[in-house]
Amino acid sequence: MGLLSIIRKIKKKEKEMRILMVGLDNSGKTTIVLKINGEDTSVISPTLGFNIKTITYQKYTLNIWDVGGQRTIRSYWRNYFEQTDGLVWVVDSSDLRRLDDCKMELDNLLKEERLSGASLLILANKQDINGALTPTEIAKVLNLEAMDKTRHWKIVGCSAYTGEGLLEGFDWLVQDIASRIYLLD
Amino acid sequence: MPNMEGEETPHRQIPDETLQKKHQSMIDRLAARRQTRLETRKPDSPDSSSTSAFLSRFNDFKNSITTQIESAADPSCLTDISSSISDLEKLVAENSYRLPSYEIRASLKTISDLRQNLDTLTAHIVPKKKFSFKNKPVKKETHIINQDTECNTVSLPELKKTSLPVRDSPGFRDKQSQVLVKNFKGSEIGEFTISGLDSCEVKLVGSVNALFINQLKNCKVYVGPVMGSILIEEVENCLLVLASHQIRIHFAKRSDFYLRARSRPIIEDSNEVRFAPYCLKYKGIEADLEVAGLNEETGNWTNVDDFKWLRAVQSPNWSVLPEEERIGTVDLVDLECGNGTI
Repeated sequence: MGLLSIIRKIKKKEKEMRILMVGLDNSGKTTIVLKINGEDTSVISPTLGFNIKTITYQKYTLNIWDVGGQRTIRSYWRNYFEQTDGLVWVVDSSDLRRLDDCKMELDNLLKEERLSGASLLILANKQDINGALTPTEIAKVLNLEAMDKTRHWKIVGCSAYTGEGLLEGFDWLVQDIASRIYLLD
Repeated sequence: MPNMEGEETPHRQIPDETLQKKHQSMIDRLAARRQTRLETRKPDSPDSSSTSAFLSRFNDFKNSITTQIESAADPSCLTDISSSISDLEKLVAENSYRLPSYEIRASLKTISDLRQNLDTLTAHIVPKKKFSFKNKPVKKETHIINQDTECNTVSLPELKKTSLPVRDSPGFRDKQSQVLVKNFKGSEIGEFTISGLDSCEVKLVGSVNALFINQLKNCKVYVGPVMGSILIEEVENCLLVLASHQIRIHFAKRSDFYLRARSRPIIEDSNEVRFAPYCLKYKGIEADLEVAGLNEETGNWTNVDDFKWLRAVQSPNWSVLPEEERIGTVDLVDLECGNGTI
């Protein structure tokens, strides 16, 4: 029995998925996680460090790692890469000025070998704000089409404020991970 | 779990001789350990040798603590009660050997109940300590110690400008020595940008969802409540009066912020920044504040987190603006219909 199949078996038994939420500061990562979990989102301080949320989603247990996005702590993101099944990249669609920054950080992240197997969900957040870029525009700016062909990815417009689009995004992510890891189902 | 060691007879057949040997030696070891434990137990106080004696001692003790908790009125007795509970716990621990497991569980439950009562009492008598950041997460110690020298030479990372299919959002951009006024009442504007201003005065009345401020010099900025977040980068020698759910300040120098925020404001790569409470007025601001959930002073203007100073002591990069240096309430009168230059 190979190591991979052992890992698969263990994971299958627990039905656990490890999901890493990253993105620039002010993109709404923490708000998204709390909103999915049905918690109050009216008072959220910028994340100093990280939060972990365990959420039961469909028949799976999601361990969501929500890591702070301020410039100073971005270098610590790599501490969370190990064993990531799903990567959620959150974009503030209303922050036009920092899209360059956003693209650069995402490109760096996708070069990371430890994340090469992870499904990638891009959430074009803050669609509720008048003047925000659409998911199609964001995809163009981030040049997503040019991504490595082996990567499973999807971009979804959402609003952590209203909750719109969040379930659509996470449904896709969970299904995609499940189809990769729990092939035996 | 001492009573488990008593069950020594294995029911399974062990065919392998080496295994059997190992098993035997393990049993011998356990037996020897049990023997020594029993021996060391002997000199214990005689009055707690039986379960009933223990129980009566335990109950007396417990009752006295309960009375203490009920009669406690000031913080000084809290430590006494806490140490009494610890003593009680110690008593249980000392006697755990000879007690039936039910009694141990029951006693431990009683103790945890007492603790809980004490906690409720503490919360009642002593106001909660403010949360403060400890030193723990700091990994690059040396890096952060060099902070002081780094602060003065804060440099922006090189941003490669690519041509992006990006439209301009509403905002005030690249102006000098002007008074810029905007009233958002009844407008559809969701996000607003203030960028590249020098020696300007900016007055924004009404609410937006998101506000971006960057590259300001010698400016004064007065802003009505923002629903979502305010992101500030590169301000120098400025005065800003802001209210929002979240406020992030990056690369700020020698600037004063008059804030009201629902969450903790943060600074990063900033120095000589000072904070004071929000002080803006215009006709109808109460309603706007209420809608944005900012009608009450949260006190967060002084709970600033410095991402470049992750330690318990006060960051040298920011301070509270002394009261005598603060500006008074700013009243944006005669702006109600003023839709100024944009």
